[in-house]
Amino acid sequence: MKKNKVTLLLVLTMIISLLAGCAGANNGSNTNSGTNSGSANTPEADEQPAKGGKTTVQFWHSLGGKNGEYMDALIKTFNETHSDIEVVGTFQGNYDETVTKLQQAVAANTAPDVSMLERAYVQMFADSEVLEDLTPFLESSSLSADDFTAGLMGHSTFNDKLVSLPLNRSTPILHVNKSMLDEKGLAVPTTWEEMNQVANALVIQENGEFKRYGFTMPYDTWYPIAMISQAGGKFFNDDNTSIGFADNGVGEKVFNQLKKLQSTGALYYPPAQDSGNITNQMFVEGKVAMMYQSTGSIGGLTEAVDFDYVTAFLPKDEVFANPTGGANVAMMSGSKNKEAAWEFIRWMETDPQGGLQFILKSGYLPFTNKMVESAEIKALWEKEPNRKVAYDQLQYAVDTNKAVAWPEVMHEFFSAIEAIMYDSKDVKSTLDTFKKEADRILAQ
Amino acid sequence: MDKQSRWAQLRPYMMIAPAMAGILAFVIYPILYLIYLSFFKYNLMNKDKSKFIGLDNFTQIFTRADFYKALSNTMIYTASVVLLTMFISLLIAVWLNKKSKINVIVQAGIFTPHIISIVSISLVWLWLMEPNLGFLNYVLKTLGLPPSQWLQSSKTALLSVIIVSVWQGIGYYVLIIVAALQSISPSIYEAAALDNASKWKVFYKITLPIISPQLFFILVIMTIGSFKVFDTVQVMTGGGPNNATNTIVYYIYGFRTTNIGYSAATGVVLMAIIGLLTFVYFRLLSKKVHYQ
Repeated sequence: MKKNKVTLLLVLTMIISLLAGCAGANNGSNTNSGTNSGSANTPEADEQPAKGGKTTVQFWHSLGGKNGEYMDALIKTFNETHSDIEVVGTFQGNYDETVTKLQQAVAANTAPDVSMLERAYVQMFADSEVLEDLTPFLESSSLSADDFTAGLMGHSTFNDKLVSLPLNRSTPILHVNKSMLDEKGLAVPTTWEEMNQVANALVIQENGEFKRYGFTMPYDTWYPIAMISQAGGKFFNDDNTSIGFADNGVGEKVFNQLKKLQSTGALYYPPAQDSGNITNQMFVEGKVAMMYQSTGSIGGLTEAVDFDYVTAFLPKDEVFANPTGGANVAMMSGSKNKEAAWEFIRWMETDPQGGLQFILKSGYLPFTNKMVESAEIKALWEKEPNRKVAYDQLQYAVDTNKAVAWPEVMHEFFSAIEAIMYDSKDVKSTLDTFKKEADRILAQ
Repeated sequence: MDKQSRWAQLRPYMMIAPAMAGILAFVIYPILYLIYLSFFKYNLMNKDKSKFIGLDNFTQIFTRADFYKALSNTMIYTASVVLLTMFISLLIAVWLNKKSKINVIVQAGIFTPHIISIVSISLVWLWLMEPNLGFLNYVLKTLGLPPSQWLQSSKTALLSVIIVSVWQGIGYYVLIIVAALQSISPSIYEAAALDNASKWKVFYKITLPIISPQLFFILVIMTIGSFKVFDTVQVMTGGGPNNATNTIVYYIYGFRTTNIGYSAATGVVLMAIIGLLTFVYFRLLSKKVHYQ
């Protein structure tokens, strides 16, 4: 009997020490979070003012590859110039992955102080009241929302609160293989009508197989939305109760135009998986003459192509119009170091050593008026006029998919795009189904 | 001694307590929480904004066309993968049953896909199946056959995913069946040989019944596993084109950021379906399975 109790005691001690061991291991892994590895750092452990009263600011971003290196360089410069703040940048995967992680981190109270947020998700986060209103911070630094590029502020405000600021922003643009067009004596199209003619004229077909297509676009909601606003429609109607392109026939016009082009090989619509890389590759190899694609690809394409490569505004229908994309930066309202977090955001947004350097290297759009007027940007545009076109197009920037429920509606819109573009389902009935789903989601 | 007998009664519970604590924390609690979530339009980041909506999520599931599309895709996928894998594995296992050097090498070769990450496999097949430059279409063209669009057409996409899953799964199941075959006592076969039993009859009357527990095991775990297919779909098609390869688990995943309550409700439905399937299997097949 005694023996049993001893055993029990032993077992209990073991369990407890095991549990303690787990906890210990956790603390251990937090101490090395100073390095910018992909590991999930728990900010709480770093919040205690560590060595020499330094405040640690956790910053999550979605920039990998070359752009990730540029972001690391930015963070490094910040840390070198600020003795009292240590910013820890963590790459959290692509935009969607970052959003998923951020949602979970907020729920678990382990969210970072500052995060990059794909602009279309800003409303969803703001609606959950987890983003800090930046207006007082701006005022304290004698800045105002007018200091930022107006075309990029579309997703920054929510219920009169300024909840995010533009960071790595881009917009869709027309990339053109000018050599190919010159060969046939064609001019860069500026309207849908010209697009029809030029794209069709560039098609090469042999034995029923297309050797060359007119133009292409990645699988995304971005480009149909651009065309919807070009044709005078809006993605959501003004009071966000329904979509704004079904009843006025704009949706049908857009998709019929795409289907017509697709049927003659004037448009190549790529498979969904990895579509961005596929279209870029085809453009570089000369298998397609023109491409709707993000301004973010200008840098990479300039290096890769061996032909005369120019950019142009997306062709207009009724009007020139284009949505914007990329990500904003936001402060999480759960942050315990808001002053330090703001100092980082302020420095990144406005300091000539901060965001400007990142923009110059990466090719994203300049986002403050000062930046646009800076000598460095002027010199860059002189050298690479393709990038200036991207900025100039912002005068027509219009974001009509601004709603808390956008991510959910987007899901349905993708289904509609797939049904029409891949399975040639009837445009009208597909859009009717989509409208019904969108209305239901918006009514919730 | 009253105290002692109570201890004797309590002791087994104390002994399994650590294991039960784990199961409670990591199995029972998550399941209950899943069911709880399924009744809400849940806001992960701000609980105060969650809305109790009763059975609305479930009504929505059962009125949406894309759920039925995902369900039927999953059923077709499961049925095809289970039947094809079972049949081919059994065939290869019977062939490899005789111990020879060649057979050992072949068996190792067939098993190899199982130890490779399914993500790598999916990526390699993604290239093989590329319609313009892929190897498979090259072979088809050289043989004078019409090329296929493979993953890029909604007609062939599901079939393509099935091919990859079967190819990857066979090795493991061959191994299990070969082990089962080799555990059959030779004396039974000798007795059959004395009776001049035909090869087919030996297989049908002796081999199959004796390895039936293993086959039953494979059937159950493969059905459950196939019902939960995710990785191949995620890497190769993303559920497309036009939902042609959207399976239930991928469907659940699709709503992860936007509507976690709806995801949870679909998860509950999936749990019910798998539970039901397993129950049916045990009722119908357990009688036919021969345990020694």
